[in-house]
Amino acid sequence: MNTLSEIQHDTLVELFNIGVGRAAAALSSMVGEEITLSVPSLDFLHRHDASLALSVGEADKNVCGVTQHFSGVFNTDVVLMFPEAKSLELVRLMVGESIPLDQLTEMEQEAMTEIGNVILNSCMGTMADILAGEMHGSLPTYRVGTSEQILVAPGKGDDIVIVLRIDFHLEKIKLYGHVAFVMNADSMQSVCDHIDRYLSGFNL
Amino acid sequence: MSDAVLLARVIDSVNVGVIVLDSAQRVVLWNGWMERHAQLPLADVEGKTLSELFPDMANGRVQQTVVSALTANLSSVLSQSLNKAPFPLFSSVNDRENGVRMQQAIQVTPIVAQQPRYCLIQITDVTLSVSREKLLRDQALVLRRHSYLDVLTGIANRRRFDEYFDEEFRRARRTTLPLSLVLIDIDHFKLYNDYYGHQAGDQCLKQVAETLAGTLQRPADLLARYGGEEFVAVLPETDLEGARRVAEVMRTKIAESQLPHASSPTASHVSISAGIATKIPGCGDAPTTLIEDADHALYHAKKTGRNRVVSLESELR
Repeated sequence: MNTLSEIQHDTLVELFNIGVGRAAAALSSMVGEEITLSVPSLDFLHRHDASLALSVGEADKNVCGVTQHFSGVFNTDVVLMFPEAKSLELVRLMVGESIPLDQLTEMEQEAMTEIGNVILNSCMGTMADILAGEMHGSLPTYRVGTSEQILVAPGKGDDIVIVLRIDFHLEKIKLYGHVAFVMNADSMQSVCDHIDRYLSGFNL
Repeated sequence: MSDAVLLARVIDSVNVGVIVLDSAQRVVLWNGWMERHAQLPLADVEGKTLSELFPDMANGRVQQTVVSALTANLSSVLSQSLNKAPFPLFSSVNDRENGVRMQQAIQVTPIVAQQPRYCLIQITDVTLSVSREKLLRDQALVLRRHSYLDVLTGIANRRRFDEYFDEEFRRARRTTLPLSLVLIDIDHFKLYNDYYGHQAGDQCLKQVAETLAGTLQRPADLLARYGGEEFVAVLPETDLEGARRVAEVMRTKIAESQLPHASSPTASHVSISAGIATKIPGCGDAPTTLIEDADHALYHAKKTGRNRVVSLESELR
């Protein structure tokens, strides 16, 4: 399924790359370490297909997710997801302390939530800026579960999910997570309309 | 009591720091919790911005999140781990005197009820959670350290060797520098045990471990108990010649310590045999190949009279 034209698709990828670029700058200054983020790809899926695609054959493995709800010109639940093991690696690299435990501690969960919050706010803030709308962002929540559990919680099964892969590069270590934007068809239409309006400003 | 007064009392009493800023980032609300922990009454802070009140917070992350709440309508969290105590708040008088700030978890949200927008900052004291986690971390580190030690000799155990050797093997492959392994065996240890008894045998193992460990100088060198009366030394960035020197020093030191071994056919004192293997690992090489080589060399040392050092290259080529 792809409800976007090629140029709309490319515009979205570009917007997200600007967004994660801003997030990377914020995260770098927080940890005093060069961090680069990029979005190499983007997919449109039905919610059920999305949770399957995100679990990639490891449906029983836990992922941790940071979720925020954004409302305004369109409504969406946005989830940043990592396999649990990767989240341990990421948080411990960023916090600079290593705890030999195989789950995130309470304080580490909070740090993970903040990292997700910075990334999601930057992505949505950039979209709102460039597409000239305003979005209200809720506080983030942190959850651990299968990708199915994390994606299914809000909304209905016929929702559309935009899935981005997001690459992290820090201290010679590369890892990636996913960001899923869950929205209904109306909101998806609104996203398309805003992209069209933005593109029409360039007289293409 | 009117609803507004009741609400103001409630906000004043909650066990969370509450600050409300107007669209120009000026303080309009500052609850009792803030007054107590910042030691600043509302009258002193009202109408001032956070950077006027606390100059070291200017352009910091709290201010950035305040701006994104006021201008972009976005909510943010600031975790204790990634933001070390941004507000000068203190849990007790004692902490204030010692300059130990309260550990803080902070939430910044826009208040969208009316235009222009306001911004709400909530601060929670997480000092207790932080110290609990520090305790947990310290305990886990102690446990981990213990799980890597050989109980009898106090040197690294087999588990530690397996992990360390694997790491060093991969490092050697990346750096293309030689990695050496020395496998050491106490000569006729079974006869020693039979003659002197197992408790004396344990003492002998301890003594040998201590002597062998004393010969390793560089921080990256590791001596581990490989099993029974076998020890192993991992020598990163060491060529065959270097490894041979180290092993020869080990053999000499053990001989010089003159631990009596009356039942040994080799010498009147405890002696060791050592097998050395050296390699610059290539892409396809597995760590086990180096261990096999060292084992092979050790076998050769035992077969050719014991109390000697043998390297695979020199003797078996």
